[in-house]
Amino acid sequence: MENIALADPGAQLSIWGLFMQAGWVVKLVMLGLIGASVWTWAIVVDKLVSFARLRVALNRFEQVFWSGQSLEELYRNLAERKTVGMGAIFVAAMREWKKSFEKGAKSPLALQTRIDKAMDLALTREMERLEGRLGFLATIGSAAPFIGLFGTVVGIMTSFQAIAGSKSTNLAVVAPGIAEALLATAIGLLAAIPAVIAYNKLSSDAGKIAVRMEGFADEFSAILSRQIDEKVAQKAA
Amino acid sequence: MKAGLTTSVILHAAVIGFGLFTLRAPPAFQPMNVESFPVDIVPVEDVAQSLQGDKKSTVRDKPAPKPTERPDIVADAQKIGENSVDTDQPVTPTAKPKPVENTESAPKAPTPTEKPKPEDTPKPKEEPKPTPATEVAPAEQPKQDVKPDPVKQPEPKPQPVKEPEPAPKPAEQKPAEAKPEPAKPDAVAEAIASEQTESVALPNSAPAPEAKPRPEQAQAETAKAPDRKNSEKPVKEASSRQKSEDDAFNDKVSALLNKDKPSGGGAKRSSQQSSLGGDRNNGQKLSNSEMGALRDQLSGCWTIPAGAQDAGNLVAVIRFNVDQSGKLDGRPTVQTSSGNRSYDESAVRAIQKCDQAGLVLPAGKQDIWSEIQVTFNPSDMGM
Repeated sequence: MENIALADPGAQLSIWGLFMQAGWVVKLVMLGLIGASVWTWAIVVDKLVSFARLRVALNRFEQVFWSGQSLEELYRNLAERKTVGMGAIFVAAMREWKKSFEKGAKSPLALQTRIDKAMDLALTREMERLEGRLGFLATIGSAAPFIGLFGTVVGIMTSFQAIAGSKSTNLAVVAPGIAEALLATAIGLLAAIPAVIAYNKLSSDAGKIAVRMEGFADEFSAILSRQIDEKVAQKAA
Repeated sequence: MKAGLTTSVILHAAVIGFGLFTLRAPPAFQPMNVESFPVDIVPVEDVAQSLQGDKKSTVRDKPAPKPTERPDIVADAQKIGENSVDTDQPVTPTAKPKPVENTESAPKAPTPTEKPKPEDTPKPKEEPKPTPATEVAPAEQPKQDVKPDPVKQPEPKPQPVKEPEPAPKPAEQKPAEAKPEPAKPDAVAEAIASEQTESVALPNSAPAPEAKPRPEQAQAETAKAPDRKNSEKPVKEASSRQKSEDDAFNDKVSALLNKDKPSGGGAKRSSQQSSLGGDRNNGQKLSNSEMGALRDQLSGCWTIPAGAQDAGNLVAVIRFNVDQSGKLDGRPTVQTSSGNRSYDESAVRAIQKCDQAGLVLPAGKQDIWSEIQVTFNPSDMGM
């Protein structure tokens, strides 16, 4: 800040001109905010795409699951592929089931518990994937305006110092500095507004998917429990 | 995630690129072409107080001088009047036979021999008998007494007797009034001669031997001149002494009488009904700033007496007159005493001292200076 250059009144007032004549602090803030905006939108796009895919996958899986196909067959199909969502939960549960039965589990109660644990683990892992990076959107949504404001305050401070140095209060001298400083707040808001909207939408979407998967897990757990009982009865007979 | 990031970067690049190339500097505001108003700060006194008008009119809503009669309009004229050139002088009215003017004009009239007549004619006829209250009348009697034959008017003179010194005046004024009565060539000759040659001429001009006693009287009276001056002004003016002194004044008066059209005044025409007002557009008072300037000058000249310095709120109001040239006219008078004599005196001395140094008064407000009242108060005067 040693050399406070007075904003040349004839300077460009285009966006690029404003950016170029800003001080380095303000420039840094603006660049950071633009980066945040880029990252926000990257997350938003990624999440929208992955959520859409997941929903499609869930639908297809449910369709297949309730189609009357045997669980063994379904498991054999899915085990070789990389699965997401309900498929992952199903595979985790079936794997545990298989392991226990192949080795001849004695206690059906312990088997049930193990299967539930495996499904919970799979569900948690899936949810983590779903909700990962949404926190960043929340952060940007709340912090970006402040960061922008910081750039503005610094910019206005600088331009006031320059005005004091020039000993002129002409609006033509004051205006460019303030316009340039306000650009920082504008960029901050530009990053924050989509971030907040996207965060709200994506987190509610994630919540819906989570509920759906939890429901499936509970249902599948019940199915497996019934199967275990049947097997135990067969053995006893 | 890669896809998302790529998409986002491309999106931002597109938006920023679009912004950079399309969002140019917004068009500058076009300042409206409004003409700027010159704003003057005018002291309210100038507007609220005496405005130019006609002294003889009644007060009307709008102050205005007498309506002018000349139709031609002079460009850029500031002062109202019938002149063809804009001047600053007050308008002089048409010469009317006013009684006041007559008393003064009669004595002077002699110099311009022909002019006095038209104006005086109306009165001279009546003067002799009805004896208008003016002092002129008594003057004639003595002369006519001397020459009983030519003029018979003297008889009505019972009134002149009232005045204690009628005799002296006649000797000098005789010439003036003699003229109106053209019947006597002698009288006219006398009049002219007497005025031109002053008192010495009188004896010569008097054709009749009887007239001589008068000159003596006249001389006797001239000796008494001081008394006469005090008692009667018209006589004073008539006296030869004054004529020499007041040549300029005489010229002015004769010029006044000469005009049959008003002179002076500006060239701006007025069509409004005349209303009561002064000669000029000045306020009646010095404005606050002018008063402050005057007070500043006075405070520089003022030395508060040692005893009164601690007295605190002594206030003396001093009134003084200033003549046209800005010099003190007469001794300042104490309008409201502070109760402390030396304090009042110090205030009076301050004014006199400043007058010696030269008072600076606002130009163009001579009418207002003529009488100034200053309140001498240590706190007001910045002491």
